[in-house]
Amino acid sequence: MSIESLDPRVTRLHIEAEAEQEQKPQLDQLETYEVFHQQKEGKAFTYAGPVHGANEEIAFLFGKEQYSRRAACTGMWIVKTQRVFVTPYVDDNTSFYDTLKELTVTPEDAEQTYELFHLKKRGKAHVHAGTVTARSYEHALQIAKETLNTPPVVNVWVVASQDVLREEQEKDIWLTTPEKKYREATAYRVQDKIDRFKAERQAQ
Amino acid sequence: MQDLAIKDLLYKLADDQLILGHRNSEWTGMGPMLEEDIAFSSMAQDKLGHSLAFYTLLHELGEGEPDTVAFMRNADQFHNCQLTELPIGEYDFSLIRHFLFDNAESLRFESLSQSSHEGIARIATKLKGEVKYHVLHGNTMVKQLGSATEESITRMQEALDYALPFALGIFEPSKYEQELIDAGIYVGEAAIQKEWENRISAVLAKTSLKLPDFSTITPVYGGRYGQHTEHLQPLLDEMAEVFKLDPTAEW
Repeated sequence: MSIESLDPRVTRLHIEAEAEQEQKPQLDQLETYEVFHQQKEGKAFTYAGPVHGANEEIAFLFGKEQYSRRAACTGMWIVKTQRVFVTPYVDDNTSFYDTLKELTVTPEDAEQTYELFHLKKRGKAHVHAGTVTARSYEHALQIAKETLNTPPVVNVWVVASQDVLREEQEKDIWLTTPEKKYREATAYRVQDKIDRFKAERQAQ
Repeated sequence: MQDLAIKDLLYKLADDQLILGHRNSEWTGMGPMLEEDIAFSSMAQDKLGHSLAFYTLLHELGEGEPDTVAFMRNADQFHNCQLTELPIGEYDFSLIRHFLFDNAESLRFESLSQSSHEGIARIATKLKGEVKYHVLHGNTMVKQLGSATEESITRMQEALDYALPFALGIFEPSKYEQELIDAGIYVGEAAIQKEWENRISAVLAKTSLKLPDFSTITPVYGGRYGQHTEHLQPLLDEMAEVFKLDPTAEW
């Protein structure tokens, strides 16, 4: 039995399906962290992507290199993936909050603040929508429904504020990023030189 | 006379960055994990950028073109400390070197941003944020690996013990030390070294690594005066291999 994939290029390779792979020992794997970046002072923090890391400080170092080596950046938030509470998805142009069932009992846990990230459209990134004070993730959603519900909201991530590592103080570590054009393929304009070289060749 | 002192300082700064930048770039594509590979390569690239900034300033002061200066000199004309030219070894050594060197470099840039020499102050002010991040990277990695597992602690300790005499060579005094201090251009190596010892001691205190008494270590000097290990010339030959095929080529 070779592997059938949704990607025809994979199917064409006729790769034999292997026997179940042995699971790696748990400690051999690094945890994942989610990275949010702020591209301009005052703008909302936006999801950039995940990184591996041994702890959140290392995740920040890697996040900085993966997600702010090209675009301008003024701050970064790091959250352990496991600490992100994810709601179900709803259809485009609707709001998750409208499907949220009312909590019948207010939880007894201590109050703390939660950060809410909204996805406005599939394929886009989650954007920080606001902060609420609540007693649980579900409770935070309940409160956000009253204060932050501006449809469409196809998905929501909820993170306890204390689980966010905020790197916003040392602005100067990003100061020179916009000047690093040499990291972009578009910075290398060679067509003129190629044309000139060809012309010289032809003239000979 | 002050002109010579300033050039000596600039060559020292630029050569350190060029040689270590080149060394660290040897990890590109071979780093211990993808994210770290990218991070280390990125910092190596920053260092080459720093050397370019100082070579450009040297050029404004009458020295050769940056490319010529970088690619056409022989080892005995380089002013980098020997720490920067040592082979990359295993990743433990490269990380320890990065930690020891960048902590010193960060202090240099902070101090030079207050320099009475306007050109130097401008470059140092602009680039010190990059070096600050390099230090953050070095410190974070050393804290993690210096207290993780028995193997990581042993390896980091061995790398540290090997690197320290070379690291003290960063602070080899130049002929013009007092002149630069008197003119307010540079605070001087002794002052930087003292603060450097405090900073790295503070980081290492948070790990299981042992830092020997600095007074018991004999610094490896010579680099600032053109005396180098056998590793520098092969590095220069390789770095300039393409450039030397046609030094007048337009890139």
